[in-house]
Amino acid sequence: MNKGVGTMKLVSGKTWFKGWSGIMLATVLAGTTVLAGCSSSGSEAGATTADGKSVLKVEVFDRGNSPAGSTISDNYMTKLVNERFGEPNKIDVQYVPIPRSEELQKLNVLMASGGDVPDIVFTYDQGTFNRYAQQGGLTDLTDLLNQYGPNLKKFLGEDTLSYGQIEGKQFAIPGKRSVLGKYASYIRQDWLDALKLPVPQTTDELYTTLKAFKEKDPGKVGSGLIPFGMTIAPAQYEPLLWSFVQQPLTDEQKYTLTQKLGSSDYPTLLPGFKDGLKFMNKLYNEGMISRDFGLDEDKKQLWQDVQNGKVGFYTEDAGELYFTYNGTYKNLQANVKDAKLTPADVFTNNEGKHAKPEYASNGLYIMIPKSSSKAVEAIKYLDWMASGKNLFDMQNGVEGENYTLKDGVPVAKENASTEAQNRLYNYGDMAIIANGKVAGTEEQNNDAYIMQVPEEYQAAMRKSVEISNTDTIPPVNFNKPIEAEAKYGSALQDKYSQLIVKATMAPTAQFDTTYDALLKDYMSSGGQAILDERTKVFQEGGANK
Amino acid sequence: MKTSTYLRRYWQLYFLLILPLAYFAIFKYGPMYGVQIAFKDFNFFQGINGSEWIGWDGFREVFQNQDFYRTLRNTLMLNILDLIVSFPAPLILAIMLYEVKTVWFKKLSQTILYIPHFISWVIIGGIVYQVFGTQSGFINNLWVSMGFQPIPFLTDPNYWLITYLLTGVWQSAGWGTILYLAALTGINRELYEAAEVDGATRMRRIWHITLPGLRPTIITLLIINLGNMVTIGFERPYVIGNVAVQEYSDVLSTFVYRIGLESGQYTLATVVGLFQAIVGLIFVLGANFAAKKTTGEGIL
Repeated sequence: MNKGVGTMKLVSGKTWFKGWSGIMLATVLAGTTVLAGCSSSGSEAGATTADGKSVLKVEVFDRGNSPAGSTISDNYMTKLVNERFGEPNKIDVQYVPIPRSEELQKLNVLMASGGDVPDIVFTYDQGTFNRYAQQGGLTDLTDLLNQYGPNLKKFLGEDTLSYGQIEGKQFAIPGKRSVLGKYASYIRQDWLDALKLPVPQTTDELYTTLKAFKEKDPGKVGSGLIPFGMTIAPAQYEPLLWSFVQQPLTDEQKYTLTQKLGSSDYPTLLPGFKDGLKFMNKLYNEGMISRDFGLDEDKKQLWQDVQNGKVGFYTEDAGELYFTYNGTYKNLQANVKDAKLTPADVFTNNEGKHAKPEYASNGLYIMIPKSSSKAVEAIKYLDWMASGKNLFDMQNGVEGENYTLKDGVPVAKENASTEAQNRLYNYGDMAIIANGKVAGTEEQNNDAYIMQVPEEYQAAMRKSVEISNTDTIPPVNFNKPIEAEAKYGSALQDKYSQLIVKATMAPTAQFDTTYDALLKDYMSSGGQAILDERTKVFQEGGANK
Repeated sequence: MKTSTYLRRYWQLYFLLILPLAYFAIFKYGPMYGVQIAFKDFNFFQGINGSEWIGWDGFREVFQNQDFYRTLRNTLMLNILDLIVSFPAPLILAIMLYEVKTVWFKKLSQTILYIPHFISWVIIGGIVYQVFGTQSGFINNLWVSMGFQPIPFLTDPNYWLITYLLTGVWQSAGWGTILYLAALTGINRELYEAAEVDGATRMRRIWHITLPGLRPTIITLLIINLGNMVTIGFERPYVIGNVAVQEYSDVLSTFVYRIGLESGQYTLATVVGLFQAIVGLIFVLGANFAAKKTTGEGIL
């Protein structure tokens, strides 16, 4: 018996050792397999599910706001797609989440990985789209669109589709943007009333008003007072800077002196830009604008200051403060009794117009990577979205629960159940072919857009949208991509921010030298290359007018 | 013993080595295959093999880029300043902790000193804004309420440097004491007792016993630090930095992030990476050589 136990011990000891080394070996092997999996690109191409459906993978932005019970890849919207589109077409639509804040970096990594990239990807960044197309990474959709996308073509229209064409080939399906206005200004009506001042109508009047805010402090804010709320995000500085651009511009000036970085036009070289910065510098040195605006990239600090009643005036994406998800105005009214913000159109240019930029008529660039074997299914999916009531239902939810129809325009229900509200939390990222609500005519679209905010704010919202559409400056486009913009775009956005911040914060006497030094740096970091290429393409007649 | 018998007897130990070796092979040597991207016009749709060779063009482009020199200068500047300010901090702290005789107090201070190391830079960035901002930072609020002008800790480049350096000390000094404290346990207590009997003061004991005992550790850490002169962590300058101080806060790692991950110019990003690796190697070898010459101690 003794002997028996001894043997057992020995055996178990050995088995233990064998088992352990087995695990180690397995780990090492597993590591190798993972690597092999990475390098064999396209091994998953043509993947099917167990029940014979083919798999279509679609990118989706993850904003980390999925309500309890849903995930970004499994929610009301994904179920709706698979039920209405997936079942009849024998396609399993799967969603690949990409964090919104690092969308470009992740997309670059996914595109480089080849086999793992979703069949439908998208970005707002024009430079990135151009680069992918030029490097031959995208499927040419010209024929596929004719064959499988009649509804899609009709929905988008030639004008929008042209944004996705490079030298006649359709390399991206541009989403359609229904609301083009960008910015409006907001001013504290209760402060104006206390000082018996009218709502300012021009830049000069604004200056006087800000000065009065600063000196008389009608809101009794004290040392934290910010007459003019500023950040280093476009919505706060663009309306001011663009209003200083000297109009009228010749076509040549418009096309060659504008610089498109990312997805917006920048006025860096246009006449008058420097005067705009000089005005900002003056405001800063007189203590009118937020001291730390250079640190506030995501507007969080500004919103907080507005909500706490410290800000007298600011410019913003039209109506942003009224939306429930933003809540700036609601919180302000909760924090400061009788606080009232009025939408205003303030900055005037040399022609007396309230000039401000507007969006291009396209939204996302929707692309199908060349490595995808599901281009047909992908176009079918987008075509499905554009047909019938599908897009409408994705944007608005269920009638009677999420909205009621008023003159053909969906009006969000005031007291919709949480379940109903949760249906729509990510509709904008799922209904990718449209940016903004699509209800029918342009007017109906605008109405639908306005009706999204709580009823008490709808009048102010309507005014904001009106302001944002007044005297707008549309973006300019060429019929072929400017390569230098794809290459230097994101680096130059940094330089541009730096130019604004440093020039604004410079002591008055040093404004000119600071401005010159930073502009020189901007030009040599790619600004000059963009200018040269734009001039060349313009002379070749490449301007889209 | 014959090699075969030796191997048969100790095969388990050699087997255990497989895991670390595999780690190095897969994660350290494998990626070196990608170094060739620096010499190719890398197009990731075509892959490494499909891209065309461009020789030294990538290097030419990087060396003509003024941002490269600016970020290189900033990297060196921040690292050298960090070496001067942050390197002695854990050493001094460790000696002070070593001299503390009350056990509970020593343990408590150590724990408190370690904690910042475990806070991510993103959170530290948030704290720094709340503390040092000119508009909402509480130091400035206090300062302004006493009637002074606000101090631009975060938006003036020179003040920002101080903020950057001190935040670094705060975050890492406590953690850095661990290596020194471990080395201190190796010093023979009898030396101290003998010195005390001979009437040596506390400062004398630190100077003649503690510091010489720590010398190998100091030299090793110094060499490692010098090897990292041209590499710099991404998070700290990226999070603490901002547009207003970019002339100082823009470093090689943020530069690589911008041209590589954001603009997709992988060739240039790889060139910078390779450059950093080579310069780092030269620094390590140089520091090691100098240390061997002057003190007779080195790590290679």
